[in-house]
Amino acid sequence: MRNKFLYFFLACSLLLTGCWDQVQLNQTKLIKAGGFDYTKKGKVRTIAAIPQVQPGSREEGKEISQVFEATGNTARQSRHNLDRRIAERVDASKNLIIVLGKEAAKKDIYSILDVFYRDPKSALNAKLAVSSKKASDVVSMKFQEPNIATGNLGEYLYDLIASAEDASHVPEVSIQTICPVMFDPGQDFALPYFEPLEKELNVSGVALFHNHVFAGTIKGPKSILFNLLNATQSSKSISTTRKLPNAKGDGPAKSVTLIVKKAKRKLKVSVKPDNSVSAKIDLNLTISIGEFPSKHTTDKKGLKLVESQLNEVLTKEAGEIIKTLQGFNSDTFGIGRQLIAFHNDTWQAIDKKNYFKKVDFNTNVTVKIMNFGIIE
Amino acid sequence: MKNNSITPRQLFFVIIQTQIGVGILSLPFTLFTKAKTDGWMSVMIAGVLIQFVILMIWLLMKRFPGSTLYDVIPLLIGPAAGKVLNALYTIHFIFVSVLILMYFHQITGRWIFPETPKWVMISCVALTSGYLITSSARIIARFFIIMTPLLIVLFLLIAYSYTDAHLLYILPVGVHGMKNVLVGTQDATVALLGFDAALVFFAYTNGKPEKKLKAVSLAALCVTLFYTYVTFTTFIYFNSEEIIIVPEPVLYMLKAFSFKVIERTDLVFMSLWLVSVATSFMSYLFIAAKGVQSVLKLKHHKKTIPYLVFTSIILATIPKSNLQIQQWGKYISLSGIIFTIPIICLLLIIAVARKKQGGNAQYEK
Repeated sequence: MRNKFLYFFLACSLLLTGCWDQVQLNQTKLIKAGGFDYTKKGKVRTIAAIPQVQPGSREEGKEISQVFEATGNTARQSRHNLDRRIAERVDASKNLIIVLGKEAAKKDIYSILDVFYRDPKSALNAKLAVSSKKASDVVSMKFQEPNIATGNLGEYLYDLIASAEDASHVPEVSIQTICPVMFDPGQDFALPYFEPLEKELNVSGVALFHNHVFAGTIKGPKSILFNLLNATQSSKSISTTRKLPNAKGDGPAKSVTLIVKKAKRKLKVSVKPDNSVSAKIDLNLTISIGEFPSKHTTDKKGLKLVESQLNEVLTKEAGEIIKTLQGFNSDTFGIGRQLIAFHNDTWQAIDKKNYFKKVDFNTNVTVKIMNFGIIE
Repeated sequence: MKNNSITPRQLFFVIIQTQIGVGILSLPFTLFTKAKTDGWMSVMIAGVLIQFVILMIWLLMKRFPGSTLYDVIPLLIGPAAGKVLNALYTIHFIFVSVLILMYFHQITGRWIFPETPKWVMISCVALTSGYLITSSARIIARFFIIMTPLLIVLFLLIAYSYTDAHLLYILPVGVHGMKNVLVGTQDATVALLGFDAALVFFAYTNGKPEKKLKAVSLAALCVTLFYTYVTFTTFIYFNSEEIIIVPEPVLYMLKAFSFKVIERTDLVFMSLWLVSVATSFMSYLFIAAKGVQSVLKLKHHKKTIPYLVFTSIILATIPKSNLQIQQWGKYISLSGIIFTIPIICLLLIIAVARKKQGGNAQYEK
């Protein structure tokens, strides 16, 4: 008898778990996309897109994206101020993307992101992106695409970046993955770069950072080669078009589209006794031709010609990319990290801020054509 | 007596489960603050060191088959002094249990249950553990074996971080100086404590003395390797500038991963880790209960459990801030080292010098 009571009470206690820490969904508003700008007075402005289901007259309700804004001295304070404007408690644990306005990214971005690293509930796997205008231009955007996209803005932006990642336009990063790199004195990172147009959004390239600060961009097809040179991509559907060097004028007949099947990058950093650093980057691409209207050739000689022309174009482009990176002092290759790991004495001796500008690069892109699609 | 004994294999799992506990989450951080990226070597060195300590414990306990530490001490240093030292050992083990509870709440309170009152969290673990240890060593060992597969899951979850690791972060090896590595060894030894459970559990183990030694030593080796692996993994996941701001790097690392079904991997990890913490707590509280039994000359250790559980709950709720917990931790880990290394060494010397041997346990087990 006594035992029965005991078991009964023990069973009841199972129902009592977690009474204190419950969070009820109907009392929270989930932020799906967030943005940060600085106001003219230097305050932080938070923009949050919160999906909201409007009760529909028929069938299920329509999902719309509500946008809220608030300012404060820090990212957290602006979130608190945001909370005051919304009836429910604001919760960012399901956040998918954070957009940084260009001006905000030009100051120390860690000061904005600190709150995300500190809060155990925050979504660390959310994507990060930089907007060419203000973050609010992206987050509060009204899109041309049908309401599926505008209903849940966070998901839309997330998919936009995910597809750009697949195409190797932008590096695969999240709030957490940039954190170790951000703190690393020997490496820098790059983020996706958004350009808001009239009624749509263009993922136009990558935003380069130096330490915690936005330094510059690489746009267009170059960003693909940039990502290949960084060897960060695991994607298998990289496709890019290049004009052949000897072709005059523009138009489809002068260009070739290559589909990258396999990319292999080798990075070798060497140091001379006088502590001058040189880096050799070899990028081997195995490609197939995706589009080549002007040529139908399979003989060995013609093939070699195309390959060598592509090598020339891409190697030149790689050199330009590196020059851009050195101009921005953005060591995305992690040359400094290699020095710390393998040539520590040199690292101790050199200028830790501007070492990257002085690195002597030797870049080589080698293309190997594997096939031509289904016609020849 | 026969029903209470365990096999050397069970002893192996008891030691593993006692050793793996709260330390695993914060060890990489502690080691990093001491020895920078060479901290993982500290774990290896500590692992070698504790093998010697285990050998010492074994040499001591081998002379008195079937006796626990509490039976051995009075035989070696006389009944009066023996009682005092037994009492000190008991108090030490109670405080180790309390420390486990405090660390447990410190981490769960910060990571999952910020609103839940401290005493509730602590009571949940302490009461259920208390219930289990009213039984015999054999039941405890069986429970520990059932829970061991969870450790494999922990291992695999941590292995996932290799998808996003930076192997270069561990290099260059050895530039931070051997001295720092040795300083870190002390912290690593504290994290590896738990093999001292052998002081009591040897008495309940059947089989040849060599087999017992093998079980404990192998368990310590496994745990050393596991800890080295965890430390190494966190060191290549986090940059050296970053790890100094992350006191629980293992959880932090897992927080960033999300799978199709599981979004917060750290919570999954923590719920499995909780079991490991509870098992360490059970072991130590069991040892403490045996101590109380022997000091007060009780028939069965069962009677002492409710008092011990409530004492530990109350003690564990005392420190209010993280800094206070750190203070407690400092003293208790110091006493952990003193009670397991120098005192055991001294007892062994006395036993050898005075040629004390044999003597079966005078208490019911």
